[in-house]
Parts: sequence; structure tokens; C-alpha cells
Amino acid sequence: MSEKVKIYSTPGCPYCKMAKEFLLKKGVEFIDYDVKKDKEALKEMKKISGGALSVPVISVCNEVMVGFDRGRLEQALSCLKQSSKIE
Amino acid sequence: MAKVTIYSTDGCPFCAKAKSFLAEKGISYDGIEVQSGSSAWEEMKKKTGSGSLPQIMIGDEPVGGYSDLVHLEASGELSRKLGLAGKEEVTPLYDVIIIGGGPAGLSAALYAARKVLKTLVVSKDIGGQVAWTYDVDNYLGFSQVETADLIAKFEDHVDKYGVEKLLGVEVKALELTGKIKKVTTVDGKSYLSKTLIIATGKRPRPINVPGEKELTGMGVTYCSTCDAPLFADLDVAVIGGGNSALEAVIDLMKVARKVYMVCSTFPKGDAILRDKVLSSPKVEVFTRSKILEITGKSAVEGIEIKSLETGKKKRLDVQGVIVEIGLLPNSELVMDTVETNRLGEVMVDSKCHTGVSGIFACGDVTNVPYKQIIVAAGEGAKAALSAYDYIIKQR
Repeated sequence: MSEKVKIYSTPGCPYCKMAKEFLLKKGVEFIDYDVKKDKEALKEMKKISGGALSVPVISVCNEVMVGFDRGRLEQALSCLKQSSKIE
Repeated sequence: MAKVTIYSTDGCPFCAKAKSFLAEKGISYDGIEVQSGSSAWEEMKKKTGSGSLPQIMIGDEPVGGYSDLVHLEASGELSRKLGLAGKEEVTPLYDVIIIGGGPAGLSAALYAARKVLKTLVVSKDIGGQVAWTYDVDNYLGFSQVETADLIAKFEDHVDKYGVEKLLGVEVKALELTGKIKKVTTVDGKSYLSKTLIIATGKRPRPINVPGEKELTGMGVTYCSTCDAPLFADLDVAVIGGGNSALEAVIDLMKVARKVYMVCSTFPKGDAILRDKVLSSPKVEVFTRSKILEITGKSAVEGIEIKSLETGKKKRLDVQGVIVEIGLLPNSELVMDTVETNRLGEVMVDSKCHTGVSGIFACGDVTNVPYKQIIVAAGEGAKAALSAYDYIIKQR
């Protein structure tokens, strides 16, 4: 469950922090990668996003988003509810 | 629709409120004037079991007074009782709809809520332009605070008053001129209000060159504080010549391999920043130059620039382009109706009036000088109080 949401961020990025707070408020578990320090994570971020050089990159289920777009993220999170119903 | 009957009397404030409530929603009713002890009063008592005014009946069912009516509306029961459920929901009428969720919009929401106005905030996001810096050290009471924390505090404060918020939603169209204002969002829904507060802020000005839009996020960025660390060991170009551009160059000097600065005149910001930039061996500045194009298939591979003096073109191989050429007001939705200045900012007077009745504006989208959080918050408060004054006068 917790592996379904990943966020790639930098410490100086307010949008990243807002995205994380948004997820916390929704009670969604996520893994946070600091791509300023973690070069492996940066590589992975670029790979899954087709070369993005902008944070946050957020992956939810199979969807990868560049940037924090509340509406889009909220919609993407609906996949979590669906899969938990099946479980 | 079921028949609505109101028993009321002159000089009873809640009777008047109940009637205007129904009228605003387009619900027709029969009004029966009642004097204490009269036959109408006896009839009312028999039907409703109450002797206080007003008494409202929907069909044969007594539903109580004004506050009961509001309660029914809030719970969605009203349309069901009227027999409208499933057909068309009775759209609630807000006292004020605030468009924008930055410091101006949230401060307006707080003041509106404290005046017990029925308030809705519609915004794509919370925080506005504040979110573009990492921390804030000039907001009274906070000698240093992280931007995201300050925004969270703003939002919590507004939430304490139960303000309705519609977030992550973009507004598509506004009807500003009628007595009732209409807000239509991109998902096709509409919201009605007696007043509107425009607090839509500003956005980064794009360069408007080929490749910019397509490669945004793929090397093109407008947030250097967010993305500078990602350009470690890469070559990047910063477009712009003001303080923000200089700060971006300084952020990048620490990590990038090579930083080009492209400005249409020459670096104009504070001397202390300029000296730092100009003395760095990593930085090459192109003055009196213009960017023509950003190239790259799926990611930025280079830019083409042109000297405004010699007309000579030059290609720079870069993997990143950071755009810092100022801001544009988000005033497109109102531009046709309210007055704007040559920068596109909405013109307001000292009470945040726009010149169109019932439409107020505040914060960075307006012509009010000094784009600061505290100024925006103050203007938001003024806009809400002006909207309140306007509503009171309409009654």
C-alpha cells in the first residue's frame, strides 16, 4: 500500500512540501525521496518521468505527475481506494 | 414544485429574510399577512402548531421559521421537500465568492466568515505566489517561517470558521454585471453569489518562444529554488536580468557546470547580487540579447539567442532554462469588464472597489503597489469588509 505513492522532492521546494502536506492530510502514505542528496533517486525520477528536471515528481499507482496539481493528484489518488476495495 | 406559504407580518426581520431567501432562489410563495389574534393567526397556529412568526409551509408540511429554512437548504433537504430533487438542485446563493487562495483571498475569506457571510473560496491552489520562495522573514510576528508552514497556518485559520473551499478547480468564466454574479468552473459547474472578490494573483511571465511550453518540466522551469539542485553538473541558462534572475544564477553557481545569463539589457538587480554573479568564473553573461528558441526532443538540449546590438545569432548547449522575467497578473477573466492598467492589473480604489458594482479585487492582481504578503493580506481584509458593506446596503 505504502509503495503506491512516491514523491521526489528537494528541500528548498515549497510545492513539494505542500504536496506532502496534502497527502498527509488525506491520510495517504508515501515515500519521500530527496533528490538533492539521493542521486539514485534522481536517476529513477528522471527515468519514470521521461527526463523531468522539475520537482515535485509524484507517482501514484501507474501515473507520474510533474508538479503539484491538487486536482490531478486528487483524481490520481482514487486508484488507491479502488484497489483497497478489491483487497 | 410544491407550494410554499409564508405567514408573516410587517416589521418582522426574519419574515423579510425568509422572503428574500426564497426570492433569491427563485422559489415562488404565497405570503399571508398575520396579526396576532386574527383569524389568519388562528389558522397558522392550527396548521403549524406554532404562534411565532414567520411560519413556513411547504405543501401541507410546516417546516418552521427562517433558521429552519436555512438549515433545510444547507442539508439539501429543501429541494427534496420542494419536489425538485433529482431534477435540478437549487443552487445555493453565496454572499461572497472569493477567487484565489493566496494571502489576499484567504484573508478576505477570514474577514467574510467573521461577518457571517456565506463564503466560498474557489482556487486552483492554496498559497499563491508566496509558494515560490522557500521561507519568509518579513511577515509580522514571524521572524523566519517556512513558506509552506505559513500557508498551512493561513488555511487552518480560515478552516476554523468553516469556510467552504473548492480547491484544485480552475474558473472558466465569470458573469460580473448582473445583480447575481456567476462563477463557472472548467468542469462545467456554476456557483452564484451576491458579490465576488477577485484575488487571483500573478503568475510567472512566459518568454513565449518555440519549445518553451513543450519542454516545461523537462528542463524549462520557473522555480529556481525548487529545481536548481537538479541541474548539478549540467549547463543551464537563466533568462532575465532582475533580482530573481540574479538569485537563480547564484543558486545555480553552487551546483551547475556552467551558467549563462541572458538579459535584454544588462543585469539590473542589487549590486551585491550582481557582483557575486559577475565575479564567478562559472557564469557567462549575454547582455542586450534575446532568446529565440528552446530546442530539444523530449528534454532541453539547447537555446538559440540573438544579440540585439549586432543581430548575430548564437547557439548555447544547455540542459536547463530557468525563466525569471517577471510576472503577469491573472486578470484575463475580468479584463473585458473591469478597468485594468497597462500591466493588466485590476484597478481598485482605496476600498478595493473595481468600478463594477459587487465586484471587489485585492492582492497582487491589483494595481496596489508593493507586492508583499502583508499588503495582500491587508487588502484582502478590506475587500471582504467592502463586500459586507455592499451587501448590507442592498438589503
